[in-house]
Amino acid sequence: MTTAATGPSGSEPPVPPPEAEATRERILGSAYLRLADEGLTQATVEGIAHEAGLSRATIYRHFPGGKDELIEAVISWEVGRFFTRLGEATDDAPDFTTWLSGGMLAARRQLDEHTVLQQLLEDEADQLVPRLVTVMPIILGVLREQLAQRLADERLRPGVELQEAAELLARLMVSFIGTPGAWHLDDPEQVDKLVRTQLLAGILPDP
Amino acid sequence: MASAELAERYLTADELERRMVDAALRCVERWGLAKTSMDDIAREARVSRATVYRVIPGGKDRLVETVLQHEVGRLFHEADSEARQATTLEDLVCVGVGIAMRVLTGHAALNYLVRHEPEAILPHFAFHRLAPLLAEIAELSRPHLSRFLPDEAVRPAGELLARVVLSYSFSPVPELDPEDPDSIRRFVRTYLLPALTTTEERT
Repeated sequence: MTTAATGPSGSEPPVPPPEAEATRERILGSAYLRLADEGLTQATVEGIAHEAGLSRATIYRHFPGGKDELIEAVISWEVGRFFTRLGEATDDAPDFTTWLSGGMLAARRQLDEHTVLQQLLEDEADQLVPRLVTVMPIILGVLREQLAQRLADERLRPGVELQEAAELLARLMVSFIGTPGAWHLDDPEQVDKLVRTQLLAGILPDP
Repeated sequence: MASAELAERYLTADELERRMVDAALRCVERWGLAKTSMDDIAREARVSRATVYRVIPGGKDRLVETVLQHEVGRLFHEADSEARQATTLEDLVCVGVGIAMRVLTGHAALNYLVRHEPEAILPHFAFHRLAPLLAEIAELSRPHLSRFLPDEAVRPAGELLARVVLSYSFSPVPELDPEDPDSIRRFVRTYLLPALTTTEERT
């Protein structure tokens, strides 16, 4: 990710950070709208500039990599928003198991209701999925860290390593949320069962 | 096309498919999927173009799916006798996870595509397009898993193992090393067996 201070040429004065941040957000918001509307292949920097009411030069100053960099930045931005919403949905969970179930349920619901994502998966999976795979290490890292923090307060089964368990849980959560398979993740009872059996039976001792 | 006629006359349908899948894999390993045509596969397999389309009816659009399905079938076929010899669920899962991870991580065509043409391969392993693959793997593991697990636990167990194998093959960690049976056994015993055998809802 490029900051305004490291612009492409010395001729442009560096934009003061808060203003640059606001412009960046505005560009990302506009890029999201254009990508949602036209798809990854059809959307253009021109159209995004128009949507944002900015010049193409300004867009390139913030995103020297052009459309490719914009798409990557929009995906990271939207993933960030996804986790923020997820955090808000699960903040008040009384214990680890409830937190995990609530998170799975809310995450799956968010994906189902994410019409932009669903449309892109329908039309341009070949373009979108490899880009999502590129940000996957970041998603897994965020999840793993949160899981490890919460697991640190739990009693673990003999032989279970905290980091290893957090890694496995993060991977399985992403896998189940993306592809529920035989499970109905819109049903709280099924999610609860999945969490207590397949996700946690190897990690937390029998109550 | 004497050799093509020969092949088509004397090979069974399964052998023809095997031959074509192998040819497709060799083409992909050599110059990738985008540059491989159905004609290339016909030439490489030494069969006629019509036969290629008969065996892979969807043509190039369905090539990856057809090959994937075939390779999953082959994996289970190769693992079959060793899996049958397993006398405990733990042994079975260790055998299965080990073989599957070694096949996946050592698969030249798969590795080539993940590296050079991710747009052609990765969508098959994510979101709704992964679902049929999970279901197929669960179905193929059913006869093995049902020797040790109650009916209702078999399908979820097969899917869970498929998820673990795919995830840790695509991005490996030293704690689950396909070449190190001890690391596999420890991982299976610690994390997977309890997850596979716990079917009652814990309160």
